Amino acid sequence: MSSVVTRVVARMLLAPILVVAIAILVKGFTDVGDGFSAGVVAALGILLQYVTLGREEVERTLPVRLLPHAAFVALLGALAVALVPLLRGDPILTHYPPAGAEVTTVGKLELMTAVAFDAAVFVLVLGAVVGIVHAVARAYEEMETT
Amino acid sequence: MRTWAPPAALLATAGAGFVALLWLWLAGGGEVDVPWAPTLDLRLHLRLDGLAAMYALMATGVAVPVFLFAWRYLPHHLAEQGRSLREQPRFYALLGLFMVSMVGLALAQDLILLFLFWDLTAVASYLLIAYDRQDPEARRAALMALLVTAISAVALLIGTLLLYDRYGTFSLPELFRVAESSTTVTVAAALIALAALAKSAQVPFHFWLGRAMAAPTPVSAYLHSAAMVAAGVLLIGRVYPLLERSPVLLDALVVAGFASMLVGGVLALSRDDLKQVLAYSTFSQYGYVVFLYGLGGESGVGAAAFYVVTHAVAKCALFLTAGAVTRATGAQRLSELGGLGRRMPVVAAGSLACAATVASLPLTVGFFADELLFKAALERGWVFAAMALLIAVLTLAYMARFWTGLFLGAPRTEAGPVPAAMVAPVGALGAICLIAGLVPAPFAAIAQDAATPSLLAAVPVEARYYLDLRAENLLALATFALGALVYAAHRAVPAAAAAVARLGERLGPERAYTAGLAALNGLSDRVHDLEVRDFRGRVTAIFLPSGVLFALAFVLTPTLGAYAVGSFSLGDLPLVLMLGFAGCVAVAATRPRGHLTMVLTLGTVGFALAVVYALLGAPNVALVAVLVETIVALLFIGVLSLIPREVLRSQMRATRERRGTRFRDPAVGLVAGATVFVLVWGGLSRTGGEGDAAGRLTELAPEAHADNVVTAILADLRALDTLGEITVVAVALLGVTKLLRRGRLW
Repeated sequence: MSSVVTRVVARMLLAPILVVAIAILVKGFTDVGDGFSAGVVAALGILLQYVTLGREEVERTLPVRLLPHAAFVALLGALAVALVPLLRGDPILTHYPPAGAEVTTVGKLELMTAVAFDAAVFVLVLGAVVGIVHAVARAYEEMETT
Repeated sequence: MRTWAPPAALLATAGAGFVALLWLWLAGGGEVDVPWAPTLDLRLHLRLDGLAAMYALMATGVAVPVFLFAWRYLPHHLAEQGRSLREQPRFYALLGLFMVSMVGLALAQDLILLFLFWDLTAVASYLLIAYDRQDPEARRAALMALLVTAISAVALLIGTLLLYDRYGTFSLPELFRVAESSTTVTVAAALIALAALAKSAQVPFHFWLGRAMAAPTPVSAYLHSAAMVAAGVLLIGRVYPLLERSPVLLDALVVAGFASMLVGGVLALSRDDLKQVLAYSTFSQYGYVVFLYGLGGESGVGAAAFYVVTHAVAKCALFLTAGAVTRATGAQRLSELGGLGRRMPVVAAGSLACAATVASLPLTVGFFADELLFKAALERGWVFAAMALLIAVLTLAYMARFWTGLFLGAPRTEAGPVPAAMVAPVGALGAICLIAGLVPAPFAAIAQDAATPSLLAAVPVEARYYLDLRAENLLALATFALGALVYAAHRAVPAAAAAVARLGERLGPERAYTAGLAALNGLSDRVHDLEVRDFRGRVTAIFLPSGVLFALAFVLTPTLGAYAVGSFSLGDLPLVLMLGFAGCVAVAATRPRGHLTMVLTLGTVGFALAVVYALLGAPNVALVAVLVETIVALLFIGVLSLIPREVLRSQMRATRERRGTRFRDPAVGLVAGATVFVLVWGGLSRTGGEGDAAGRLTELAPEAHADNVVTAILADLRALDTLGEITVVAVALLGVTKLLRRGRLW
């Protein structure tokens, strides 16, 4: 187990890391970053918790349990974004509002389907990494006990 | 769940569907046309015309007695095999799916929609035939049915696409309007007819139908009378205006139909198993229909439609008879049965009416079917009439053999009681056959309506008794006389028929199917062996030839001006230093020291390159590179911790001690590295030219509401790639959980 200082610091770092990840996601269309990077940053934050606190404590205190499932839901969401235009008679993955049209913005965030697609990438990457980390950790524990 | 709920629900659905369809048909039909994917020209186009009404009414109407029968049959069937009663809902769900897909197929007016329902019936029948899944014979039969009908369905798809390519529409009514007599239309129609023949189990695809008897009795009854096999004939009726444009195709249908009638009739005479006799009878009867469509004209097409309805009613009852008899006695061979007439009077009477219908005796509705057949054949010439006579004789003989073998003669077995729900459907269907024999108007009306879409014109179908010496009546009389003669010689005839059947088994198409399947399996095994023998071999097999090809391409490409060396300023010094550092680390990574060290050195190369990206002014790429290197290194270490230390150490030692690879591996690495270096150099020397995709994408980005080009590319301009990549990530997660956690996601 890691020292108390490491544990406390890791704990304190989680929130800022997640905030950075969200920032990378939200500002993705105007500044450096995108859904993938944001997903990896968030996943690294959670991986840090796993490494310092141990699997059991992380899974007891953080709501990570549903993240792997969320990955597949996100994949469905991305597929929905891809296929919905078909119903409107457009080619797949047409984003709305279309090129050149006016976009509503909330601060730096632009409300358009491309952002939803990016958000799906974010959730999927985060969920997949957490799922893999969990699987490796559990497999390691099982190996230790047998 | 209560055990009566699923069958009751299904019965209610079938009954309600039947009533609704009947009402709609009497009200003049209906139509739904929704363009659900207009960019692909796909339309959800359903229309209840005469043809659709006939097959949809058959699918729902025959379903009622079949489901009623299954209700009593299935618990007994499952108990006999020691299976749980919990498996019942699955059966009813599949039967329901079968019924719905059949109704959809009947209504579809769009070729793609039709193809969809076509394959849906194949899938449903596959699952139903293999319902007794512990029985390898049933599984084999199901696979055979699926392969024969689904592979031939590809012919339907190809025909569809040919027509679409030529006329730009999948819609059948439109195709009928615009299609002319051309080779394209002939080929497309031939392919569609091929699929139809395979589905209707016509020669040479008949073998699957005999095997499919491995299914539970209600499934056989439904599959043979109103569903699967009828689908093929339905398709012929549906695309008949296209078939009609080429006389060659119609002649081919006559040949296929006649061959099927003959082979089916002979095989039905030779079989001992009850269900087998009926299966080959079905196959022969659908041969009649194909034959009639081939004869063509008003009388041919009208007779074909009439034939299908009468056959559906009669054949369904005969299958249920076989099921009831087997239930009562436990025997399913003609040679073990006999004299059941006294023990099961209702079944005997009902099946007598139905057998007489199939054999076309007067006072049953089947009589008119044969009259119409003779009329259509006579119109084409006496050769066709002789063919029809021959087949009618065979049919009469095997039906007589079937019924008398079951119900007359000395009793050979004990007969137990049979639930009323299994007897009543047979009696009711028999009564329908008799009543329609006296009042054939409803059957004639629906057949008349059903022939209309095939000929695109109203067709008169007349069913009535003429008490005079017209040619049809004479032919019918000849049939009865000759049929009685063949039946009287029934000791000799089945023996001869059995000899023919054995010859067919020895040389028939089933042999080709088995051989083809074995060859495909062998090929698949060989490819599998080649591919997965070892990882290194597989990698070599892919990379070595492609590497050689790359090298060749370089040797053959003119090099003048292809490799530019740009200018070098002092400001580029950090970049060069960083690249040099990355190169040194990469060289260091080749010295094996331990798995962990290797992971870390490779990670260092990645980080060095990330710095290079940052210096080149690509912060987005640099960010992703840093993040990916970090997470990959961490996950790598996590996975290494799962491998026992001793294994890792011994692997390392083995690599170090392997003498032969000491120079080979570095040499291969050097050549590969040099090739990639030259490739990248050549690529970078050409930026800014005409093929400057990056430049164009950069211009597009602001229009896609993004200042960040990379994100615009990922989420918008090249989003389809991204979709594929995130799918890979999801599949990787599945793979890891499968390997490490036996598929548990948490």
